[in-house]
Amino acid sequence: MMLARVADSLYWMGRYVERAEHMCRLSDVMLNATLDRSDAATQVARIVLAAVGDNDPEKANSPYDAARALALDREDGGSITTSLSRARENARQVRDQITSETWERLNLIYLRVTGPGAAKAFNDGSSAFLHDIIADLHLFKGAADATMSHGEGWRFLLLGVHLERAQLIGRLLEVFFGDARKRPITDHFALTSLLRMSCALEPYLRRYTADVRPELILEFLMFDEDFPRSIRFSTARIEEHLSAASRYVDAGHAGPERLAGRLKARLQYADVENIELGGAGALLTTVLDECEAIHTAIYDTFVAYSLEMRLPA
Amino acid sequence: MATAKRSDTNAIEISDGAIPYDEMLTLAGEVRSHYAGLDERIATLASEDMAERQRTLERFFLLQGITFTVYGAESSTERIIPTDLLPRIIPAGEWATIEKGLTQRLRALNMFLADIYGEQQILMDGVVPRELVLMAPSYRREMQNLYVPHQAYANVCGSDLIRQPDGAFAVLEDNLRVPSGVSYMLANREASKRTFPGTFRASNVRAVDRYPDLLLSTLKGMAADWRPNPQVVVLTPGVYNSAYYEHAYLARLMGAPLVEGRDLVVHDNMVYMRTTTGLRRIDVIYRRVDDDFIDPLTFRRDSGLGVAGLFNAYRAGNVVICNAPGTGVADDKAVYAYVPEIIKYYLGEDAILPNIETFLCREPAQLSHVLANLDKLVVKAVGASGGYGMLIGPHASAKERSEFADALRADPCNYIAQPTIQLSTAPCLINGEIDPRHVDLRPFILSGEKITVTPGALTRVALKKGSLVVNSSQGGGSKDTWILAADAEEAQS
Repeated sequence: MMLARVADSLYWMGRYVERAEHMCRLSDVMLNATLDRSDAATQVARIVLAAVGDNDPEKANSPYDAARALALDREDGGSITTSLSRARENARQVRDQITSETWERLNLIYLRVTGPGAAKAFNDGSSAFLHDIIADLHLFKGAADATMSHGEGWRFLLLGVHLERAQLIGRLLEVFFGDARKRPITDHFALTSLLRMSCALEPYLRRYTADVRPELILEFLMFDEDFPRSIRFSTARIEEHLSAASRYVDAGHAGPERLAGRLKARLQYADVENIELGGAGALLTTVLDECEAIHTAIYDTFVAYSLEMRLPA
Repeated sequence: MATAKRSDTNAIEISDGAIPYDEMLTLAGEVRSHYAGLDERIATLASEDMAERQRTLERFFLLQGITFTVYGAESSTERIIPTDLLPRIIPAGEWATIEKGLTQRLRALNMFLADIYGEQQILMDGVVPRELVLMAPSYRREMQNLYVPHQAYANVCGSDLIRQPDGAFAVLEDNLRVPSGVSYMLANREASKRTFPGTFRASNVRAVDRYPDLLLSTLKGMAADWRPNPQVVVLTPGVYNSAYYEHAYLARLMGAPLVEGRDLVVHDNMVYMRTTTGLRRIDVIYRRVDDDFIDPLTFRRDSGLGVAGLFNAYRAGNVVICNAPGTGVADDKAVYAYVPEIIKYYLGEDAILPNIETFLCREPAQLSHVLANLDKLVVKAVGASGGYGMLIGPHASAKERSEFADALRADPCNYIAQPTIQLSTAPCLINGEIDPRHVDLRPFILSGEKITVTPGALTRVALKKGSLVVNSSQGGGSKDTWILAADAEEAQS
């Protein structure tokens, strides 16, 4: 049992933390690309901007500025700074529900990223700056795992993390494999960048060796059972946390755990061998739509339910 | 190694000739015995060491999020309430008097509240003027004849005490509404344990960390007997309130949900909170929202902070609101003047802790005395708090005084006046040097089935040299307060 508003805040805290971490990787990969050939940098910048839904063609021509904006722009609703501020604002709302260890981690990152020294730190060493945020976010997740009770509140936090992660990876894959009419991106540099953005390069190499091929990347990021950033892995966690959280709620047929179970099964039993690159787009669209439906169902079931249904008789 | 420089400790400028009591040094400049341990420790620290410790302390507060937010045009910044490194120390004997005095005072004030919201015997006997109580804005007619368990109206009280030049403590103000600051008492203690661990260990300081569970059992004790395991919640105005940190802190340490008005629903005169698994009944609300805002149906209609129907549920006996609405009438600044008589009336005892001499401007003779001596007095509006709406005569300009005199003549009932009291001073670390600053003392008293005075307090500090205003909204800070145990056994309890 926990307050509906609190569950909502924990859920959003999870989403924003995950978003911040993902944006750090996108920004970092973009910056790394600028050190390489200039056309590669433009291509990577175009991929990143497409993945975050920014269609301004001008921005891809100055990847450094784009990466900087993604990190520090407070006006940008999707920037790292904004995501961390919102994660922390949600954490403040539920300060009584999370442990001091967990709070301190997040507060520390927030103070550094929004502090007066942030812009200089980014300019002096953007890669180190982003690397530190990612490392600190891992500490945050570790602190939550190690110090918070693995009860309802923690489940809502992780629901947010995994739903956000599934959607972010899904959107990234869409840029590469979404449109069947376009020739798939086969450029080696772009493909390894995709693996880096998904924090998947090392696990991928261990699984498939340095044979970097688009269909294998798709298989790994979508269907791998054990890799924590594959969509299948995330949907399995979503299903797990939702069925635990739904135990005491009678949500009927539209319950989010049913939607999550269906999505999980869809990925678990997909005919992986026969999915061609051209057919991946339709599946990705379904996955992203169902993630959105789960999000709405969570809200309707646990947070904004109608009072008439729940009043004591 | 250079030792921290101590400037001339007794050299605070004062206006009325009385030399303020210094917590650490006697008039002759000798260190009082209960400060000896700290004094020795400080003497071994270089001023850089002190500054380093001060920074560590501030970082601790910032990390914990013990901050208030200043909202600017472009961005918002977080500030900590300034906290001073050096603890203020009170010996066991002095504390015993304070404890007895506050217990007596709270017993009498709760009896007074039960009386004026009941039979009104004290008004009929003419001990306190009837119109003074019934016309006070903090008097809530809605509370008349309403049952309050154990007659405990003011479950949490934070009285402000000051030490007068002769060394005796007196009560400056009783805060019976929604007093705050207890989280600073607890956080300051955490910090000073880190800063002066050795001195702390050697000093036999009484522990304050029982406060959250004592508060919880006080609140649970207010619930109806037939409700096993009563559900207690903390009601906060929300994350933008300057005391939000404290609300969340107490909720966390009590293990009680921290709710906002929008989380609550009243149905059939029962109060519920919206949880992920439906509605859940609430028994006791420790509210940190003012009377005016708790229920738009009963009090202020424009309030979005409370919940509609709450007061009716309270009247029906289905939920307990702590502190009870209407307790403010007992800390009204005009009623304050009568507290010694109130104690005498109910308990037949003399007040152990004296009041500050107070002039009621509603009395024509006292008004003319106040007007004639505006340059020596502190004038306060009876309804205001937090250091607002007051005139400190000796520090005010002639123009400010004459404006205030007009306000006084226009609405004398709204004002009281008190002599400018030289608050005692305690050594503080100011810009790396030790310098005395004026301090007050806010202990916290819990009233339920019984009355408990927490063996600790918030010492508020006027950080500006010579200033007597300790309120955090007016540039005040705070420091840890060590209450020494009479023996080792007492330190543990």
